[in-house]
Amino acid sequence: MQLMVNGQPYLVDDEPDRLLLWVLRDELGLTGTKFGCGIGLCGSCTVHLDGIPTRACITLLSAADGKEVRTLEGLAEIGANGEMIFHPVQQAFLDEQVPQCSWCMSGQMMTAAALLEKNPKPNAEEIRQAMDAVYCRCGTYHRIRKAVARAAELAGQSRSQLA
Amino acid sequence: MSDSTGPKKQKRLNRREFLIVLGVGVAGLYAGVKLGAAPLRLRLVEWLEESGGPPSDINAPPDAWFEILPDNTVNLYLPKSEMGQGVHTSLAQIAAEELEIGLEQMQVLHADTDRLADPVATSASNTISGLYTPLLEVAATLRELLRLEAARQLNAQPTDLNLENGVFSLKSDPSQQRTYGELFQFAGDWELPENPPALKPPSQYRIIGQSLPRVDLPAKITGQAIFGFDVRVTGMLYGAVARPETIEGKLIRANPGQAASQPGVVKVIADRDFAGVVAESREQAYQALDKMELEWDAGRLWQQEEIEAMVSVGEGKGVVIQKEGNPRQALESGRLVEAEYRTPMAYHAYLEPLAAVADVRPDKTEVWASTQAANGLRGAVAKAIGQEEDQVTIHPVYLGGGFGRKIDERAAVEAARLSQAAGKPVQVAMNRPEDFRSGFVRPPTHNMLRASLSENGDILALDHQAASGEVAFPFLPGIMGTILGADFGAYRGATLIYAIPNIQTTAWLARLPVPTGWWRGLGLMANTFAIESFMDELAAAAEMDPLEFRLRHLPDDVKGQRMGTALQTAAEQARWGAALPDGHALGLAMGYDVGTITVEIAEVSVENGQIRVHKVTAVADPGLAINPDGVKAQTEGCITMGISATLLEEVLVKDGALQASNFNQYPLLRNSAAPDIEVLVLSSSATPSGMGEPPIGPIPAAVANAVFAATGQRLRRLPLKFA
Repeated sequence: MQLMVNGQPYLVDDEPDRLLLWVLRDELGLTGTKFGCGIGLCGSCTVHLDGIPTRACITLLSAADGKEVRTLEGLAEIGANGEMIFHPVQQAFLDEQVPQCSWCMSGQMMTAAALLEKNPKPNAEEIRQAMDAVYCRCGTYHRIRKAVARAAELAGQSRSQLA
Repeated sequence: MSDSTGPKKQKRLNRREFLIVLGVGVAGLYAGVKLGAAPLRLRLVEWLEESGGPPSDINAPPDAWFEILPDNTVNLYLPKSEMGQGVHTSLAQIAAEELEIGLEQMQVLHADTDRLADPVATSASNTISGLYTPLLEVAATLRELLRLEAARQLNAQPTDLNLENGVFSLKSDPSQQRTYGELFQFAGDWELPENPPALKPPSQYRIIGQSLPRVDLPAKITGQAIFGFDVRVTGMLYGAVARPETIEGKLIRANPGQAASQPGVVKVIADRDFAGVVAESREQAYQALDKMELEWDAGRLWQQEEIEAMVSVGEGKGVVIQKEGNPRQALESGRLVEAEYRTPMAYHAYLEPLAAVADVRPDKTEVWASTQAANGLRGAVAKAIGQEEDQVTIHPVYLGGGFGRKIDERAAVEAARLSQAAGKPVQVAMNRPEDFRSGFVRPPTHNMLRASLSENGDILALDHQAASGEVAFPFLPGIMGTILGADFGAYRGATLIYAIPNIQTTAWLARLPVPTGWWRGLGLMANTFAIESFMDELAAAAEMDPLEFRLRHLPDDVKGQRMGTALQTAAEQARWGAALPDGHALGLAMGYDVGTITVEIAEVSVENGQIRVHKVTAVADPGLAINPDGVKAQTEGCITMGISATLLEEVLVKDGALQASNFNQYPLLRNSAAPDIEVLVLSSSATPSGMGEPPIGPIPAAVANAVFAATGQRLRRLPLKFA
């Protein structure tokens, strides 16, 4: 089947009941998406399927058929001169110096990016609830909340600049 | 040992220990600075040697820290693991300070074991305190050697030169320049000074003390950073290893069964003590492993109550680790207050399970692993595959959390055994239940405290008895435990820091059937929970404010002054004593660990038996803060992980096995329950001390003390629950 990941078509000849996580990591080499628990609880493996935050560790390859998969590697954009333009969520996580070990951060940032797609101006409680989906053992929750709020601001600024 | 005399932490290098080894590196000329391991030899190893233990490996291969490239950038190779604690950034700040370059000119890399052999693990918050002075001295010496070479080439005196960002220029003619990158190729003629140059006074620091952004984050936020689980090597296969269900489980018979004929299987290993499969994909390896015929001896089927009973004050051998005055006699005068506290076993729960890749060849082996102890891992791998240590290279990569458990050697050793059998590189990367149920956990603890109070609220005597499962002993060689008597890991944080005329602290140790060991802070959290809860109980008994009660028991010395400042700063910031929302209350606790003072004040409410921590205000005094934002981040992290341990976490044993195996049965604190945290950093020109663990000490007591203030109920057992 053909798998669309970060705008790139990949031909994969894997069994449709393989888990999306291992196809992404072990076949396509996209190791930005992490394994944490294997039961869809910790959120480290969160990717977007057609923009919806999805646990790759419990998602079958067949469920991604015909859908657009987005991973952390596809969050930034490449500018005209080949430079990397960070997504507002990445910029905000950098600005707030959020990550420590960073194993969960792919899941955190993909969850935050999906939230802002759906709700560009989340309030503090909406941020808390959305980010509740992803564990962080290093204990950066407090900074994550600050960074998501900042990302919403950054995204708003760039929208108003474009307008 | 060459450095067995003299002060430990501020040691200066002498010429013998400070050989510069020159050579041509892969990416250009490099200075290999052989530190001779002496300054690297941190507390634990020094201490092992003083105790008559086996000498550590100090004659490791040339230790090359710096590599100066022609474009005037510097590669800094570090033997310390970056597991999220930010040490690669703070060590780079220390090196850049005396090298007189900007952090942006420096690339920080994990050193492999061929380049640098750190004889101890990245642990016990010892990285900064252990490397601060040596790294400053190495960098300063390298800088002065470069200055002499620049002066020679420009026909000038060293004092005629300006230096900025790795470029020397003549004061009289700034167009006359030499860069570090240009000068470095002449390194062969240099002669080392007898002593390292004088170091800058901290008042002149421009990089140390700044909250500079972490050097590892750009790669981490884009998904480019490589962790142990992420390593990919050409031709790599996937391994799955059989593991016992029970704590004492042992493989007694292994037969390949139908495993070899399963799809994708390359190799099946059915040894007497080890069974595993190598296959083309991860799933194929695990599926085939299920087809092996394995017979296990489950061992004794231990139950939780049996384990808990073994860890009790009075069980086994007690060792007195602190004694002042005559506590026995003094306890008989005044008013007696007694209390006891327990903490459970706990899991490290880093989110990256143990993982490694090994490529074993007949004459040379390479291993990539997320490890806290690369040097120890090299020996373990060599032994497992029958090679010499110098045939094995460990490439440490980023750790997805460690918290003490990533000295676990199994993933790498197993990958090496499987790779040796298959003749191909093999990855072993554990599933969550494998990681959870087959390694060591934080030991359970039992603390009993007794004190007598005078009529005006002074503590006349305090007797602290701390019982724990083993922490450090399982990892010490042979007879070390017998020589030491008490397990320093278990009694970390158990000695009393207050000024009390009569004190006794006794450590009791139990070896449990469940393997126990290091967990962030070691015994610090359990012991501080007991002591700081008890201080609150004493304050209540004396009918005094808990802040006031602590302030009147501070020692009359520099440490006591620092503690007092930290307490008062935290109290002011948290508005101690001011009105709070209905049902909210504050709780206070203080800790002193590895030279760092932390005070934490938790704002808590209790509704329908549910404890909620709304906010934590903390003060951290690590002496000199190399990177204040890093100090804040570690304080926030310790507080959050500590609240998870305080409210939720408990490993239980049932029928010989750990009951939980994944996060559905062992939930961690989630974002919505995590408090806002405000951290104030008190930085001075004192020697910097560690930050990775000290702030985890006070938080359970701060929460329990707030629960008492809110409800009048004293909870003395973690996780905190109402009966």
